[in-house]
Amino acid sequence: MVFALLPKKSPNRDGGEVEIEKDLRVEDMEATPSGQDGPVLVSRENRQTVGVGTVENPRMTCRNVDIYYGDNHAIKNVSLDIGRNEVIAMIGPSGCGKSTFLRCLNRMNDTIEGCRITGEITLDGINIYDPKIDVVPLRAQVGMVFQKPNPFPKSIYDNIAYGPKIHGLKGSKSALDEIVETSLKKAGLWNEVKDRLDKPGTGLSGGQQQRLCIARTIAVNPEVILMDEPCSALDPIATAVIEDLIDELREQYTIVIVTHSMQQASRVSQRTAYFHLGDLIEIGPTEVIFTNPRHELTQDYITGRFG
Amino acid sequence: MVRKTVLLVAALVFVFVASTGVVNAQSARDYINIVGSSTVYPFATVVAEQFGKTTRFKTPKIESTGSGGGFKLFCAGVGVEYPDITNASRRIKESEFEKCRQNGVNEIVEVKIGYDGIVLANSKKAKPMKISRKDIFLALAKNVPDPKGGERLVGNPYRTWKDVNRSLPNIKIEVLGPPPTSGTRDAFVELVMEEAAKSYPWIKTMDKKAFKEVAHTIREDGAYIEAGENDNLIVQKLDANPKAFGIFGFSFLDQNGDRIQGSFVDGVQPTFEAIASGEYPVSRPLFFYVKKAHIGVIPGMEGYLNEFTSEKTWGPEGYLADKGLIPMPDAERMKYRADVSKLRVLTALNNQ
Amino acid sequence: MNKDDSKANKKVEKRTIDIVHQGLAKRYRAEGRFKFYGLAAIVMSLLCLAILFISIVGNGYKAFRQTYVELEVFFDPAILDHENLSAANYSGLVKSTLRKMFPEVKGRSEKRELYKLVSPGAAFQLRKMVLKDPEIIGRSISVWVPADDDVDMLIKGYFSTDAAENARRLSDKQLAWIEQLREQGKVKKKFNTTFFTAGDSREPELAGIWGAAVGSFFALLVTLLLSFPIGVAAAVYLEEFAPKNRWTDLIEVNINNLAAVPSIVFGLLGLAVFLNFFGFPRSAPLVGGMVLSLMTLPIIIIASRAALQSVPPSIREGALGVGASKMQMVVHHVLPLALPGMLTGTIIGMARALGETAPLLMIGMVAFIVDIPRGFTDPATVLPVQIYLWADSPERAFVERTSAAIMVLLAFLMLMNAAAIVLRKKFEKRW
Ligand SMILES: Nc1ncnc2c1ncn2[C@@H]1O[C@H](COP(=O)(O)OP(=O)(O)OP(=O)(O)O)[C@@H](O)[C@H]1O
Ligand SMILES: [Mg+2]
Repeated sequence: MVFALLPKKSPNRDGGEVEIEKDLRVEDMEATPSGQDGPVLVSRENRQTVGVGTVENPRMTCRNVDIYYGDNHAIKNVSLDIGRNEVIAMIGPSGCGKSTFLRCLNRMNDTIEGCRITGEITLDGINIYDPKIDVVPLRAQVGMVFQKPNPFPKSIYDNIAYGPKIHGLKGSKSALDEIVETSLKKAGLWNEVKDRLDKPGTGLSGGQQQRLCIARTIAVNPEVILMDEPCSALDPIATAVIEDLIDELREQYTIVIVTHSMQQASRVSQRTAYFHLGDLIEIGPTEVIFTNPRHELTQDYITGRFG
Repeated sequence: MVRKTVLLVAALVFVFVASTGVVNAQSARDYINIVGSSTVYPFATVVAEQFGKTTRFKTPKIESTGSGGGFKLFCAGVGVEYPDITNASRRIKESEFEKCRQNGVNEIVEVKIGYDGIVLANSKKAKPMKISRKDIFLALAKNVPDPKGGERLVGNPYRTWKDVNRSLPNIKIEVLGPPPTSGTRDAFVELVMEEAAKSYPWIKTMDKKAFKEVAHTIREDGAYIEAGENDNLIVQKLDANPKAFGIFGFSFLDQNGDRIQGSFVDGVQPTFEAIASGEYPVSRPLFFYVKKAHIGVIPGMEGYLNEFTSEKTWGPEGYLADKGLIPMPDAERMKYRADVSKLRVLTALNNQ
Repeated sequence: MNKDDSKANKKVEKRTIDIVHQGLAKRYRAEGRFKFYGLAAIVMSLLCLAILFISIVGNGYKAFRQTYVELEVFFDPAILDHENLSAANYSGLVKSTLRKMFPEVKGRSEKRELYKLVSPGAAFQLRKMVLKDPEIIGRSISVWVPADDDVDMLIKGYFSTDAAENARRLSDKQLAWIEQLREQGKVKKKFNTTFFTAGDSREPELAGIWGAAVGSFFALLVTLLLSFPIGVAAAVYLEEFAPKNRWTDLIEVNINNLAAVPSIVFGLLGLAVFLNFFGFPRSAPLVGGMVLSLMTLPIIIIASRAALQSVPPSIREGALGVGASKMQMVVHHVLPLALPGMLTGTIIGMARALGETAPLLMIGMVAFIVDIPRGFTDPATVLPVQIYLWADSPERAFVERTSAAIMVLLAFLMLMNAAAIVLRKKFEKRW
């Protein structure tokens, strides 16, 4: 069985959720046999999304999202939902647009000159690209850990305390101390830095900086956390700490994680989306994607035949 | 930290704005405001300083703007924002006088203060030169009458002083002098170049523009070197290069008599006495002009005029003479002192 | 044939490392050459700087000492009328003192020559003494008064005494008197405090740079207060907030152009706007500072924008990512990082403003001003103008004073640059 999603040039509709819900189930298949005895796979030439992108009662929805950097069409007509209390992983070859897509979920792409977004992205049913939406609370709600660790050139303590301070979350100095400590503990960094909280955050190692940035993000208690390769520079033990953290956070929050490690994706995520050259190729429950991909490109990727 | 900085900046800006307010509150001026010629500047400043140090008044402020610039400011109007006095190394021009009138500056008192000589000088290491104004003209003009005769102008062919006149030394013509913006240059052109050009009847009878073209254009082939406004620099260069000559005001020769010497012009050496008696041909009168309407308004005006026109200042024994000003003859000093005490205003320019 | 070919090929085919070795010498030679050129350039510029310093210091160091003459002054009650002490004839007092020291001097012209040995400042000095303490009237006190500038020049060895008498500033008689005073130990060179405490004067021995220094201080303070906040604000707005479109491009081009405009143009602008339109007073450091800030603004804006651009975008993203507003991002993260660069630009601009005379000419700050300015609107001049005015003065003694003033100006510049470095270090420490 093969699913093809949304027509390629579907116009940007507002409030089209129900309709799209229907669209998603429309069957329009163009399957070609690929292996001799395996299941029938969607051919490499077909670039329509395979799998169900929607969920019940989603936290965020993306419909027909196109992202351009000037003339470069970086994300092509992507539609997917992000559910509540779930971890969704985004995988795909380098340069396929994972970060780009992730960044537009809290409008970080606003800061990039020449970046243009069409389509609709909602958070709790509200279009976040509505001109009336204020990005400051949005970003407080949808936090982000960047691909490159970017600690502030301030002390470790100030790095963590900055977010709570500007949002007025701190009650007192001791409350702030507490936030700093728990955040660092959750990110598995506390033991390494507890004696040098007043030292610059930029003086930490690459992996430590990465964890510092994770701690900084969770210090403001965002409800959706976007993580762009949070463990790329971490050893297995530190990675395990972060993965435990992700598991723990999932109970309350929603997490979108970009990763190049398929083991990690299968360990932490419930659903997985596979991107290729700007297209969302396949999306579905993580175990299905990794054990039983329905698209040749997905299969190529997870079996390491990508090239 | 950042907030503190912002506060600090705000406070400073406030102080600044407050002090700006003072500007508008300051409607009266308690010092004399003088502008004008850079030639008169060294003399007027001495008087101003003397006046400021010996009276209860503030020392007048003197700007060196050049004679033309001085008149422009002076004639702009009556009131504390305009200068009270302007110095000039020439008489006020008809056009400037008219401009003054248009702006309500009707009553101007003219005061001549003395004379200034312009000298052609060289290092004491060389011999003094005896030269005529005509020789100077031939040596420095861009176009000169054809040495082969005829009423014709040719590009200046002279390379050495001897080429100009057999009696002059056989050295390359090399003269350091002021640029066209300088008052000394104006006076030099008027007193030497024009006079010499007039000695050729056919040049004299040219129309005004053509005549000016001939008399005012100085050669640009390197024989005349514009040395900037700084006369001290010229003196230093002459000291270093005994073959070069320089053109500047007498006071610089006066101060550097051990290093440089003035050339004889038309047989007369530029000495204090020769300029005072009018024997030395290249000298010009120096003036200042007073706005009568400001007398009694700006404190100290009468005192300054009195200081300037007293014998101990501009007399032959006065301190201005020490600074190189050539005093007027006794009778002329008397006349101008009388004019000042009566505040006789200038009515028309032709009455002298 | 075929075999040969392949053999040749094999020979030609070298290992990469051999090729590397082959080119290595050449590379090092190029590097050596470059180092040499760089070193030569630095040595050259240091040499020029040394020559400049040596010539200035050589010309000017003597100005820091001034010749004084000791007078045995009898504060004669006959001359000093108790009723009107401030207007008494103090120069008469000086003259009578000199006559007493050289009783053999007779005749008017000879006396005049004698009087010229001491500075006119001697009278002012005695006046000050009497006004401070009228009790000294009737007493005899020995006072060191400044010698006349010609005497000072003679003592310092600038005049040759071999020239003919009429070509010298000092006559044979005067030389003899000075010699006599010298033998009595009544001529001495002392540290020239006047030079650091007085305003301008036409008597070199009474002239000082304090007035100009105060004027410079006021003008630069105004410049700093105006151009730093405005320049930084403009740069931040243009860099962080303004949309990038044709208008902002136009503004950018114009700012870059302004930085290269000859400074006299700013003077003309100041004359037209501040003096003629707003009616600010002439010669005031307030207006001077405003004109100079017009001149330094583009420099500060350009330097500040460069500093802002050099702040890595990842820092901005980090701040925005935790939910900082744009303003918070700029104030908390970008500005502190850009501040050292901004300060450097500001100091460079201020240093340029400190050395500027041309625009001040237009607004009347090239002037003879004796009184020390006491506020932003008092008439004032600035250090480079003072240097320019002295350089143009006929008196020989101003030559060394000009050099000394240049030394002071250079000292100020060094101080400012040192301050820049200290500030930068301080701010950089906080990363
Ligand atoms: N700031 C930008 N300006 C212009 N083009 C960009 C920019 N950022 C990314 N792109 C382009 O968009 C495409 C997607 O980039 P993106 O960073 O999203 O890839 P990615 O999937 O995150 O890759 P990686 O796994 O290497 O991080 C690439 O072709 C890239 O060149
Ligand atoms: Mg990426």
